[in-house]
Amino acid sequence: MDRPIAYDKLAREDRFVRMRAREVAELKVAQGLPPFPDLSSRESIKERVHGIMVGELQAMEGAGRTVCDFPDAPWEFTMDMARQVWDESRHVEIYLRLLEHLEGYAGEFPETTILWRCACAEDAAARVAGVNRGLEGLACDVFNQLVHIARKIGDPILERAVDFVLADEITHVRMGSKWLTKLTEGDVERRRRAIEFQESIDERFNLGGVRREGDHDAVPISVATEVRRLAGFTEEEIERLIKTTQRSQVY
Amino acid sequence: MPLPLDGNFSADHSARLLRNYRYVVERTMRAVGGWIALTPEISAKLVMGRHVWDLAQHCDAFGGRLPELRAHAQVSEPANPDVVRFMDHLEEPERPDQTVERLVGVYSVLKPHLLATYRDHLARANPVYEPPTRRILARCIADEERHIAEGRTILEHLAADPSVRARAASRQRGLEELLLAARGVTGDAASLPPSGAPPRRDLADEAREFIRLETARPTWPIPEDLARAIGSLGEALVATDEPAVERWLADGLALEATAWTLLRGTRYSGYRITAFARLGNQRLVKTRLDGPSCSAVVTARWACTPEGWRVAALDAGRDAVGPA
Repeated sequence: MDRPIAYDKLAREDRFVRMRAREVAELKVAQGLPPFPDLSSRESIKERVHGIMVGELQAMEGAGRTVCDFPDAPWEFTMDMARQVWDESRHVEIYLRLLEHLEGYAGEFPETTILWRCACAEDAAARVAGVNRGLEGLACDVFNQLVHIARKIGDPILERAVDFVLADEITHVRMGSKWLTKLTEGDVERRRRAIEFQESIDERFNLGGVRREGDHDAVPISVATEVRRLAGFTEEEIERLIKTTQRSQVY
Repeated sequence: MPLPLDGNFSADHSARLLRNYRYVVERTMRAVGGWIALTPEISAKLVMGRHVWDLAQHCDAFGGRLPELRAHAQVSEPANPDVVRFMDHLEEPERPDQTVERLVGVYSVLKPHLLATYRDHLARANPVYEPPTRRILARCIADEERHIAEGRTILEHLAADPSVRARAASRQRGLEELLLAARGVTGDAASLPPSGAPPRRDLADEAREFIRLETARPTWPIPEDLARAIGSLGEALVATDEPAVERWLADGLALEATAWTLLRGTRYSGYRITAFARLGNQRLVKTRLDGPSCSAVVTARWACTPEGWRVAALDAGRDAVGPA
């Protein structure tokens, strides 16, 4: 088997249209729309849920590749990644069904592949730093807010389903922290590169100020400080993330 | 009546069998994990995603039992070089249009054999001094029965076409020959299990739900005037009538500057719309052009202009493979 594979090998059904994230954002801004769907209407919630569904799909594919690509990694690492594949496959099903619940369909919005590209990092430590800590950390922010909005609009199906997915994401962040430390033990340079990779992802997913500290109703994506603490992010890391959101470049 | 104290094999032999199982299960787990990204169909992706974790737990249980049998923990060992060869072939299909080949290897060849092997081992493992191994085998047997039922359900869904069924049968025969040459995963099997009774239907409920999620086709909310424009463009693309295609392009977009030029010189017999997505007020329409020798995908971004719907961007690629 090819290990690892080129990122453009990602296979999709014909019903999906794939585009670069930057292009999607630029075309929406050109139409006078926000680059990233807010949660102000059922339509925008549906678009957000579609984006999450695609993200879960890529997270499943990425974790599967990690199981495949690193046969020499510690066995416990493989076990954690295999568990994550299972979790992500359930998340894909949950979000496909939530899309139906919101009267949407798979392929209704273009798919971007930033998450998958991050999951193609050649170093296992970079993958867990970037995907489990950077992207699953973002998922904690997004899902925490979605649970709040679902409760507010009186949608218990959305609220309950996303609440359980959020619990899994917290576990994935913890796995990421554990393996970032274990895989880079005694290798300061490898750890530095992995953390740098995670920070570049954090910066990218601040989405030009879309993610920031603030009330769920007031900002497009609110940093889930409490959830991040629960997931094992340090106070210093949370503060640094909030600071970077304040100086984030336009998407 | 007391349970019998006579046994069929030694602790060392039992450890060897577990290492043999672990070898094929670990390789299968890694292959299936890697295939998820290479497989287009959601139903197959989701079933594979479910099974990777079960297989990891099987490996872990086999590997965890080993030190209790005076062997090293978490060690895999192929029974012989022919088992390695069989697994190399099982892992081979990586193209997006080879989902059926991937599934056949795992769900029609390897897993039925593993199931029979585990059952045989369970039947022969002494119930007085091998309960730890027996419990592991009982769990693996239950999982494998479900995996086979789910995998075969997805296979039946994907291999509805006779030509695909023929491919599946040929693949199955080839791999069975290799597995037989290895004398099974433990190197001592005289034959492979007969196909036997079909798996219990209720074991594949999840797989059927995945197929439903894959095949649910909503009525796309295409405005009437856009539907007419899409149809007209589709016909022009099939006819490779470039002036007719150009009539649908928005001001400032030249056909010559698009990827359409890559598709020149190919004959197509028909088209079908495979995707309809929203990008703000614009619409993304993916059209598959089918021809006698190859197919191609054209993705158009339609914008509503004062002249009506026009193509603001056109992308194209030859031989992009994917199911309808």
